[in-house]
Amino acid sequence: MADHNDPNAVNSIFSDIDVSAADLYDLFGFPSEDVTGAEKVVIALTFASVPSAGVLDCDLLYRIQMVAEPRVLRSAETEHTLEGFLQYVSAIKDKYLGPLRASEIRVTIDQAQRATVRFFNFPGGNFATVVDTNKVVTIDTPDGHAIKTFVGGRDDAFFNDLPGFFRSINYAPQFYHVPHTMTEARELTIPKTLLELDGNDLFNYDPNFPDWGHGFKKPLPPGPWTWNGNKFRKDVNGNYRFVYSGKDAQAGKNVNAIILEIPIAFITKSPVENRIINTWGESWVLKAAHKVETISDDLFRLENPLALVDALKQDAELKKYKLVDTDGQPFADAALSEREDNRQLGANNFWLAPHFVKRLAHLGWGFGPSISALGLQTSFDHDNSPVSVHKTYSLVAEAFPRIKKTLFQELNMPNNSWNKKGLDIPLRRPFEIFIPNVCAIDMDTTGTWPFGRRLEDQVATRFLSMFLDMEAEFNGTKYHLEMLNNQALWDQAPIEPKTPPNPLKNDADFLDHFPYLAEPHQTVA
Amino acid sequence: MRLTDYDRELAQINREISELQRNAYSTRIDAETTTKFVYRLYHRASLSGKFADFEEAEAEIDKAISRIGPAQDLCLLKANLDFKFHRLAQSKRDLSLAPGLVQTFHGRALQADIAFQEGRYDDARGEYELLINEERSWDNLARLAYLRSKMGDLGGAEQLYVEAEDEITAKEMKSFAWVELQRGLLDLTHGHFDQAWDHYSRADRAYSGHWLIDEHVAELLGAQHRFEEAAVLYEKVIERTPKPELQQALGDLYALMGRQERAEPWYEKALEVYLESAGRGYVHYYHHLADFYADVRGDAGEALKWAHKDLELRNNFSTQAAFAWALYLDHQFQEALEVIGRALSSGVKEAGLFVQAGMIYKAAGRSNEGDGYLRLAAELNPQFHSFHVHH
Repeated sequence: MADHNDPNAVNSIFSDIDVSAADLYDLFGFPSEDVTGAEKVVIALTFASVPSAGVLDCDLLYRIQMVAEPRVLRSAETEHTLEGFLQYVSAIKDKYLGPLRASEIRVTIDQAQRATVRFFNFPGGNFATVVDTNKVVTIDTPDGHAIKTFVGGRDDAFFNDLPGFFRSINYAPQFYHVPHTMTEARELTIPKTLLELDGNDLFNYDPNFPDWGHGFKKPLPPGPWTWNGNKFRKDVNGNYRFVYSGKDAQAGKNVNAIILEIPIAFITKSPVENRIINTWGESWVLKAAHKVETISDDLFRLENPLALVDALKQDAELKKYKLVDTDGQPFADAALSEREDNRQLGANNFWLAPHFVKRLAHLGWGFGPSISALGLQTSFDHDNSPVSVHKTYSLVAEAFPRIKKTLFQELNMPNNSWNKKGLDIPLRRPFEIFIPNVCAIDMDTTGTWPFGRRLEDQVATRFLSMFLDMEAEFNGTKYHLEMLNNQALWDQAPIEPKTPPNPLKNDADFLDHFPYLAEPHQTVA
Repeated sequence: MRLTDYDRELAQINREISELQRNAYSTRIDAETTTKFVYRLYHRASLSGKFADFEEAEAEIDKAISRIGPAQDLCLLKANLDFKFHRLAQSKRDLSLAPGLVQTFHGRALQADIAFQEGRYDDARGEYELLINEERSWDNLARLAYLRSKMGDLGGAEQLYVEAEDEITAKEMKSFAWVELQRGLLDLTHGHFDQAWDHYSRADRAYSGHWLIDEHVAELLGAQHRFEEAAVLYEKVIERTPKPELQQALGDLYALMGRQERAEPWYEKALEVYLESAGRGYVHYYHHLADFYADVRGDAGEALKWAHKDLELRNNFSTQAAFAWALYLDHQFQEALEVIGRALSSGVKEAGLFVQAGMIYKAAGRSNEGDGYLRLAAELNPQFHSFHVHH
């Protein structure tokens, strides 16, 4: 009936965007506590369980890249200036875009649900093997190492009040039906905040709809979607209302995962010197043209279970795929890059550095006054604003003085248990955590965030702690990354509900042995 | 028996529709579920090609808008549906219903499509190019490719189609198959039958079991004088998707085979649906009615009537050519000359257009120019007089 060109007849832009197996969730990395044999590092990349937990998508390709390097001891005179920051970024950029060549583990799944695992650029050379999914298997490498591997379905190890986070940044698609065309109606121009704003009817808790934002969405009301108040909301008892509930929105959910326990002597020839394992993950989806090529043929299978891989074919293969998602640091996407597709840069996120400064300042104007209202000290300079402010910056130089302390302060740990060998290891600072966007695992620590990322780390709350002033004290103890997880703090704060922002532990117990993530939940078909 | 990609997708959509239908209109307004529901209905209609499915989708879209309000995605869907059925004025009105929709990426693409249909080719091209600069989406690359192909830039069109395909992932195999069909059609309309086969066969490998691919293959078989095979395939396609334009195509095929007695029942069926549709106020078969009365019945009066109605809605090279052809059949040669001149001034380079222009020029006493157009047509498509369908 149409005598005209009509690509929309087949275009999927008009569907709701379904969850995709390319949607990476988390990258965990920490030194293994299994001290038998060689020293090992655990790396786990989790992603959406599509088609289902334990069944993986054959059109996807996952990459876990890693670079081992020595720990750099900081000189005392590190410049806390914009120039110093930009010099740092420039140096990192040269390192990552220069001669440094990352090693890579690449995973694809065949129609029989077997995983082809390929290893590139490791000291022992390139090789590949095929393993069963949903089983712990050991891959024996040509140079004599044993890599424990699991590819398959697990419980989602992330425990988090995601709706609370989205309420804090006034993210409309979590609470309203926002058409995909309406890019202007995502983060609304309302101050970001940890405490409900007085009269912010667009996002404040609605007792009539307790499941609002937890699956149920309201129709988006006509604009303007703004807030014209001037104070935080208080109840009749004078308490603020927390935007967080402390409830685990991920409870009962599954993921698919690639989990590896790798001897570091396999990753680097100098495991004694190279104590930092930088790692990041990527998902790629096969292009249609290349899928067609394989349809009439037998699907790619390796004849030899342990076949050598021609490194020259490595990039040729990637040309058949499109990069979809990257994952290094938790919240690097959601909190700092606003999850824009064109910012999926992974380790190469250097050009985002100016944006990082402006975005952090934007978040600071929201979270800083909230922290102050609770009687806590903040690292963000908000000129003693009595309430959160919606402010964006076009100039890095203007934003930088506000977040200088947030950016450069050392993030205190609650105690010294992280530094398991008692070495001279500097505390990490936000700017070096997020740029480059990699999980930098310190093998001489427990690997707790930000020295890696352990499964039990409550990273969402630790992320918020960046806005605390780490020089201040609470009950005689310096502020630290776990302080907001302290129930005693909330018990005495003028706030309801009296809860840490996010749950303190995962809904399912982690295992004390490989693959560490819990068994997947049983789901009803 | 192994399910085809088409069967699998249709079954999946039907399952989703059943699940969504239960909740779409519960007492509490759930805009998300309702919107998903109407989108799935639209998907099903697009896949099946059945008019009844489109009617159901349209009714539910209207219901959703009245319940939720003029949300951008609902209005965009409505605008697309109106565009599909040649209701350009309504489509523009739909786009203006939701604040801000006309400025969105998808809203702009649709407006460019409308511009093309209204004969504002430079506007369409300019907007497609802007959109592609902003984001190289496969559909906008395909839109620009189509425009370039119409303007005779085959190399440019082919390159854009290749680029479009490179943007399509394995999760969009139906889209890939659709682009392959466009590439095949481009080859078919220039007489490159072998290349057309390659594209159609690739489309079928990418997305098996789609009647749309079979329809194109049937046309190609007809063009290659494999009439019996073409007729069998057309009948199968019609059994699955009884679209009147396919019934007319089968009638044309039988007529070309000299089997008028087999052609006539298909023609009658097609005409009945065309007229019934127009009688119910739908406009999307005006073009087919003009063609039918001109080329099947040789009824200049009716051809003029429907071609004029279509021209009033969509003033572009295609409707102008159809009107000019009806004038020619009615022996109004000078008027036909004037109207075909407008179609030619669009810059479109198509064998079909040049053949009609050639005939009109010759009838108007301008034989040299007429011969020139006929030569151009033969150069563009040496196989033009083979069996073909008006796409």
